[in-house]
Amino acid sequence: MSAPSGILVEGLARRFGARTAVTGLSFEVKPGEVFGLLGPNGAGKTTTVRMLTGLLAPSEGRAVVCGVPLPLSNQDRGIALRQRVGLLTEQPGLYDRLSAKENLSFFARLYGLDLGVAWARAQKALERFGLAGREDEPVGAFSKGMRQKLAIVRTLLHEPLVIFLDEPTSGLDPQSARVVRDAIAELAKEGRTLVLCSHNLAEVERLCTRVAVIKNRLRTVSALTDLRREGTALDVHVEGDAGRFTLAVAALPFAPSVTHEGGKLTVAFREPAQAPEVIAALVQAGARIHTATRAARPLEEAYLELVREED
Amino acid sequence: MSFSARRALAVLWKDSVDLRKNKGMLWSMAALPLVIVIMPIFVVATYVHRPDDPNLRLMAMYYDATVSPEHAVRFLVDKVLADWFTLYLVMPVFVPILISSHAVAGEKEKRTLEPLLASPVTPLELVVGKSLASLVPSFALCLLAFAALCIGVDVVAWPFAHELVLPNSLWLFGVFLISPLFAFFGNGVAVLISARVGDSRLAQQLSGLLVMPLVGLAAGQFGGFLRSGPEYYALIGAVVLVLDVAVVLAARRLFDRERLMTRWG
Repeated sequence: MSAPSGILVEGLARRFGARTAVTGLSFEVKPGEVFGLLGPNGAGKTTTVRMLTGLLAPSEGRAVVCGVPLPLSNQDRGIALRQRVGLLTEQPGLYDRLSAKENLSFFARLYGLDLGVAWARAQKALERFGLAGREDEPVGAFSKGMRQKLAIVRTLLHEPLVIFLDEPTSGLDPQSARVVRDAIAELAKEGRTLVLCSHNLAEVERLCTRVAVIKNRLRTVSALTDLRREGTALDVHVEGDAGRFTLAVAALPFAPSVTHEGGKLTVAFREPAQAPEVIAALVQAGARIHTATRAARPLEEAYLELVREED
Repeated sequence: MSFSARRALAVLWKDSVDLRKNKGMLWSMAALPLVIVIMPIFVVATYVHRPDDPNLRLMAMYYDATVSPEHAVRFLVDKVLADWFTLYLVMPVFVPILISSHAVAGEKEKRTLEPLLASPVTPLELVVGKSLASLVPSFALCLLAFAALCIGVDVVAWPFAHELVLPNSLWLFGVFLISPLFAFFGNGVAVLISARVGDSRLAQQLSGLLVMPLVGLAAGQFGGFLRSGPEYYALIGAVVLVLDVAVVLAARRLFDRERLMTRWG
């Protein structure tokens, strides 16, 4: 197994006593890829990230992160892993009484960085995230969004090759969230590997090329395009209010999901072959159809279908 | 096992900056030494103010029937200072408890532990850095309090004794040898308890119980059941040294990244 700046996971599992947090994880994240890790609360995403960052030892299986094999065979390998990996935790985890500069300076020291170089790097990032000029203020006085942005700056301070981001835009206003998303895209362009844990599926759709859906075990690893399955949704434009026809379509035996907005009806289903039945149901209900376009089903549909399995 | 002094010093630096900005903690730290220093100065001042008081002679004879009347007050001054060292030891135990339980369990409370453990710092470096951040100010405070005690006692006792009553060999031995052992013990227990309970207030309360044996010993001394002196304190020091070794062994077992994450994270 080798993964120079990527991640390779084989049969990873973690138990806490009798409880299995996550099991049977196998996937690969290629260098420079933005990979989504999806799953409901308690699905084992955080445990997975903690295993891949060397914070928890796997109960079973193995992995290679940035060329460092897991489970860690000794402390020096752990240090090597942490030098190459960055982790943005769900909570920013900053020291309130310390200033932003002191918070960053502390982590620069832990990573053995030259303080001058690290500070020059940090200043650029602070500028980008709109925190320039606030570096000497205690972090306790920062808003939630400012804290989140500072935590991102801290995560990137040592220029990690692999970056794990747990809900990176949580608590951010739309403008700041966009800055973070742009930064993520730029990091991927630089060749860094990013693993994004998020409940924000729109964000995942924008940033990730592939995703793993887990719910205590791996439900799927798939390219987003495959997951959304082109052809398993129809965008139908009808005359008048499309809402009149939702019941007629939803009543079909294969129970498609239906949403409408003005004269547009979006219908998602499991198999491309079910599209004609949708059209037939609409015609039978009296709909005057202007256009019907095959589309990909929303990621949300695919995700909910996967996490509902075996519930 | 690799150990980086640089990373341990980074933890020391961060905790020191944090402590310096924690006004509430600084006031809490200062309160105990004030009491420890002022009380014996008042007692000595009371003794030397009325050296001919027959009650003082009776008190001296209660502790030692062989004391001659003309040496009674000096005997009492020396005795109260020797006995007071037991209460002075509360300081090197309690101040590190105050700092360490906050610094260690506080990492969990503030959710700063996970980013910290995701950095290259090792658990040993973390414990060493945090212990230094607790022990250095604690020992400095103890020395400062000792200096203030010496000055205060000598100022009030000089008209009577015409010589320096403090520092004496017992206090020098105690301050420089016994009190660091106690500070190490207090810090170690606070760190261990913090690692188990992960709540700074509970850790402080549980660790604070450590001072109870010292209060008990002091009560025995003032009640005349126990006689303090160099051998007495050397024996206490030896016991605490053994306990220090036990704390280090327990800390080695308890402090790995996995345990910290599952208990604290």
